[in-house]
Order: sequence, then structure tokens, then C-alpha cells
Amino acid sequence: MSSNRWVPIGAGVGLRLPHIAEVAATRPSVPWLEIHPENFLANPHATELLLEVRRDYPISVHTVGVSVGSVGGIDHVHLQRVRTLVDMVDPVFVSGHLAWSTHDGEYLNDLLPLPYDEETLRLVAAHIDEVQDSLGRPYLLENPSSYLGFDTSTMSELDFLREVVRRTGCRLLCDVSNVYLSAHNMGYDPYWYIDGLPIGAVGELHLGGFTPEEDEAEPGAQILIDTHAGRIAEPVWELYARAVRRFGAKPTLIEWDNDIPSFAVLLAEARRADEIAGRALAPESRCAVAG
Amino acid sequence: MPSLAEMQSRIRRAVIDGDTAGMVALLIGGCDPERRLAIHQRHYRSSLVAAIRTKFPATGWLLGTQFLDEAARQFVRQHPPAGPCIAEYGEEFPRFLLTYSGAARVPYLYSFAKLEWHLGRVAVSVERPALAIEAVSTFDINILMDTVLMLQPGLHYLHASWPVDNLMKLYLTDTAPAEYRLAPADVWLELRGSRGEFHIDRLDAAEFVFRAAILDGQSIGAAAERTLDANPGFDVGRAFTTLVHGGHVIGTTSPDRGGKA
Repeated sequence: MSSNRWVPIGAGVGLRLPHIAEVAATRPSVPWLEIHPENFLANPHATELLLEVRRDYPISVHTVGVSVGSVGGIDHVHLQRVRTLVDMVDPVFVSGHLAWSTHDGEYLNDLLPLPYDEETLRLVAAHIDEVQDSLGRPYLLENPSSYLGFDTSTMSELDFLREVVRRTGCRLLCDVSNVYLSAHNMGYDPYWYIDGLPIGAVGELHLGGFTPEEDEAEPGAQILIDTHAGRIAEPVWELYARAVRRFGAKPTLIEWDNDIPSFAVLLAEARRADEIAGRALAPESRCAVAG
Repeated sequence: MPSLAEMQSRIRRAVIDGDTAGMVALLIGGCDPERRLAIHQRHYRSSLVAAIRTKFPATGWLLGTQFLDEAARQFVRQHPPAGPCIAEYGEEFPRFLLTYSGAARVPYLYSFAKLEWHLGRVAVSVERPALAIEAVSTFDINILMDTVLMLQPGLHYLHASWPVDNLMKLYLTDTAPAEYRLAPADVWLELRGSRGEFHIDRLDAAEFVFRAAILDGQSIGAAAERTLDANPGFDVGRAFTTLVHGGHVIGTTSPDRGGKA
């Protein structure tokens, strides 16, 4: 059911198309790389380079278009294409989002929110079962970045995720930046959220930059937009330390998808993640938490 | 309480059409959830407009960035992507430009944008080992005309009524003069690309018809017949060997062999 490739320890980076030729040519020191399959499915040249790169790096496949929350069902053509790439790459993880993005044959190019209730739970669980059966491996489900919730929700996001894990056996990808951003935007404590995730289910962590914008509805207040267009904010690093103490050393990914900087900048962010994780797991740090 | 299906349908209308009717009362988030919903509307538009801009930089150079962006905004509202692979999004944009207000002043715009789209596609292809000319000598002459040639994946054939290849070369070499007038003239273009590079070659009309038919999956005989209909003097043998010599052919299939060479 799972890949034979070893699970990496330490912080990797998202491999985006502007960097792939450089990575293939220079083989920089980074423990692992993550790709969005949607960037490769229509690009044979990039896929050829990826297959070269995978000889030296564990690869994780992070889908953005497998819409597990769509009422219209999974796009089987897309899932088959993802599976073909997954079979070629043999990734260490395959992951995606708790969100929906397709509707009646249209793709809305965004990760749209879901109400948390029994109807959605049944739908998402059925779709994750379908994805896991098709790919022949466990799927890691990422917590969303939220600006909105639904008045009709009957359970919290944490309860929803816990129940999806219980029903499907899938694992969780904890995007620490999403936790921070959603907690800020929706008004809850991000530490409470991290502490509520089921420890054994979390298999991977994500860190990405967000962009603060003035909240037009509330003068003086800010809303945080999940742009992946900058460095990781200081409060997110602090939350990351808490996540590492809670979940242990997990493969952590630096995501940067817009205004993409040099690969060296991404590596520097990854090194910082490693340093923070190292400090968080040091014995004195663990005592401080226990105390 | 609306069903999940109804809710997703309403969100779809809000994101693409900006119609938030019946949606806001269901949402929570900040003081004004409608403004939060607008974040998703903005992301849908801006990410897809950026995708069009990235795929059509030469068209943007020709029209001006503001004009291109406004056309792209209308395009993404009327033509949502059909799938999650955004690299495949925008193929209909050149045709959309045909009907776009203000674009009629550039009569070659459709052909130019179409050329740009296909150059982008062939450039990300990967050339495969070509069939050696020696392999041709092993072909069974009795079934040669029924043989189907498989061509390199990074090939495309484009006919235009304007010499848009000249215009594209001005863009690519950054050598556009202060004033340039394009006169209508038919051009038959072969676009060939691989591993991030591409080139454009002009063909004569008969060669174009033959090669386009071969790429379309027709047998050598059928492609020849189609070409000879309009060009009785067409030399099929020379056209065939030129294709092989040029590294265009990567394999063959024939009905008798029932397989690939």
C-alpha cells in the first residue's frame, strides 16, 4: 500500500518549474522535494527532468486538483493522470487538500471551503477511499487555509479531520501556516488547534508565506491571505516549534509558489526549519514544555 | 438549509459570475463574509489571468499588457478551465480574441495568438529517437502506402493567411522597428520543439498538406492522395525521405505487421 522509498527527515522544498533545470544540473543539498503533479502532467520536458531528479531525492506528490470535497465526484480522468505520474515517480507521500475545486466540469482554480457536517463527511470519506484505492497508497489530507466558515456546520474542523482519519485510515498533512492563518482569520487559538490534531495521524508538515491585507470590513484589522509568496512569518515559526514538539520530527516542506525566489532562498528557509525543529526537540526544550 | 450540492452551485456562481445571491446568509467569517468570499473571486480571476499572460507574452507585446489583461479577464469569466492542469488552459483564447471588442483592428491577431499557443506546447515536448534512414530499406514495398508514420511529439502544422512567423521572429529577437506593416500572405508553417526550444520553418503548400495529414494519423498513401488532389506534381517519394532524413519519424505501424517498428 505504501512506497518503498525511505521517508525523509528534515525540511525539504517545493520543486517548482523555474528551478527544475537548476536542481537537475546541480543536485543541491536538500533532503527531499515536493511537486504539484498538475505542473507536470502537460509538460513532458519537466517530467523528464523530474525523473532524473528522483534518482537522487525522495519526492512527495502534493495534488491541488484532486477535489475530494466536490459533490460532482472525483475527476477520474485527472486521477488517472495523477496515478500514472505517481507510478513513475514512486513518491514517499501523496497528499491533497480538504477542499473542493470542481463543479459540473469546470475547475475553479482555488481551494474552496466546505461546511463541516455529516453529509460532507460521508462525501469526503468516500472520495478519499476512492483516491487511496486508485493510487494504492495512503493519502495525506491537508488542513485548509480559511477565510470563511458555514453557519450550517455541525462540527469543528478538528472533529471533522479526526473523523475522516478514523473512517478512511488516511493521514494528515498539517500545514502550520494554514493553522496560523485560519486561526487569525476565523478567530481561534492556533495552539489549541495544533494540540487537537491526532498525533499519530500527522505524517508531514507544511510551512508557507502569507500576505496580510487590510480587512475592508473591519478598519484597522488584517486578514491573512494564503499566497505562498514570501518568507515564513515569525509567529508561524513559533507555532512550528510547538507542532514539532507535539508530533515529533516530521518531514517538513517549505512552500513558495508565487514571486518565486532563487533556490538558495528556499534552502535557507529549509535550514531554518531544521534549526527550529532541532531546538524544539532538544531535551531542555521538552522539559520546558512539560513544566 | 440548502444541500451541499446547492451550496457548491451557489459558490460557483459567486466565484465565476460574482453573483452572491443566497450565499452570504450561510457564511461566517469576520464582520462581512461577502468580502471574504470576494477573496476567492479575486484568486480565481487573478490566477487565471496570470496564466493567460504567461502563455501569451508575445500577444501581450502586440496588444499591450492592459488590453491583454482585460481580454483575459473576460475570457476567464466566460471560459472557466475544464480541468486542474492549468498548463492546458487557454487553447481557446486565440479564438475568443476573434470576437473580442477592439481586437478587429488587428486582423492577424487570431493567427498570431494561435502560433504562440502552439509554440508553447511544442517547446515542452521531448524529441524521441528518430527512425534511421537505413530502416526504410527494410520496408515492405507492397504495404508501404498503407503504412502510418509516427512523428515526433513536438510537431505542429499551422496555416495562416498572414506572415505571423515574421512578426513572431521580431518579438523573439527584440528587433521590432518603430513601424511595421504586415501584408496578408499565406504561410504554411511547421513548428518543431523539444526540451524548451523550438523553431518555425516555412513549407510549401503541398509539403504542408502531406506532413499535416501524416501527423493526423493518415497512411502514407492517404496523405499522398490528399496532397496530389491539389498538387498533381507532388513528389511523394522525396517528401517521405525528407521526413525521415529530418528526424521527424519515430516509428511506423502497418496493418499487416499489426504493430510498431
